[in-house]
Amino acid sequence: MRWAPMARYFLNINNGGGYSEDPEGQELENLDAARAAAIEGVRSLLSEEARQGQLDLSGKIEIADADGNILLVVPFSEAVELRQPG
Amino acid sequence: MIERHLLKLRARDTVSPEEEQAIRDSIAEVRTFGADEILIHAGRVLSFSILLLEGILCRYKDLSDGQRQITELHVPGDFADLHSFTLKRLDHNIMTITPCRVAIVPHEKLEQITERLPHLTRLYWFTTNMDAAIHREWEVSLGRRSAVSRIAALFCEMKLRLEVVGLTDGLSYDFDITQTDLAECVGLTPIHVNRTLKDLRERGLVQFKSGRVTIHDWKGLVEVGEFDPAYLYLEKWHL
Repeated sequence: MRWAPMARYFLNINNGGGYSEDPEGQELENLDAARAAAIEGVRSLLSEEARQGQLDLSGKIEIADADGNILLVVPFSEAVELRQPG
Repeated sequence: MIERHLLKLRARDTVSPEEEQAIRDSIAEVRTFGADEILIHAGRVLSFSILLLEGILCRYKDLSDGQRQITELHVPGDFADLHSFTLKRLDHNIMTITPCRVAIVPHEKLEQITERLPHLTRLYWFTTNMDAAIHREWEVSLGRRSAVSRIAALFCEMKLRLEVVGLTDGLSYDFDITQTDLAECVGLTPIHVNRTLKDLRERGLVQFKSGRVTIHDWKGLVEVGEFDPAYLYLEKWHL
């Protein structure tokens, strides 16, 4: 079963590829669940970028409610932990 | 009631009046369901198969972490689980994506068809083989294709499958699934799907908006999706 709908969150993307508004949103339990969905989404986007040999961590996801109020901004850099040599 | 089913079958083979009547007679009842309703749970012993008359259905499996993988979409005219006739239980669930109208076909009736009508039996065998071909194509997409290619391939597939049953309007068609459903078809997240749709739109290939797909450049979309319709076995149909 799908989980009980609690609230609709809109996860808008803003990165090197431009701005993409989330047209339909997702029913999620709370803002924590929306943040988790944003993190998962960013990891999915970045994995595709990595496969093409580039990684742009300068983007962010805006989490908005149905009225368009921005509740939280999740920078792409929060989705991955980077370890570099040296 | 079975017109779309007949269109699907006749795009690949002949169906005699006797066979057509046998299909009509095999339907025990018609039921309607809302969106997101689970019609068949994996593991349950089944005594009937489901023929989709209207709407979109899917086969899917749930993962333990709450993720879902849709393994095939069904359009009107498809049996969603003709394979349950021989398997008796399914190893996957069947759920409605949009509101659906389905015909219930008891296995007993299918058994009578196999005993009485060998050509129709082979034709039904063919359709389950074609489902397997669709699964293979999705396997290739999920395993190897880029995000943009996966979605392009799916839009191409749905365009042809819906066109066969008379549900396209030139290069556009109703496809009332959410970006979350789409993500579950192509093994991506809704955010990744959103970004990929923007990419396809900006390249002038296809637009997916408010439950409708509008293809602007069929050749370009076919190229990006590496779409080869051979797996849909439409050689006899006017492509």
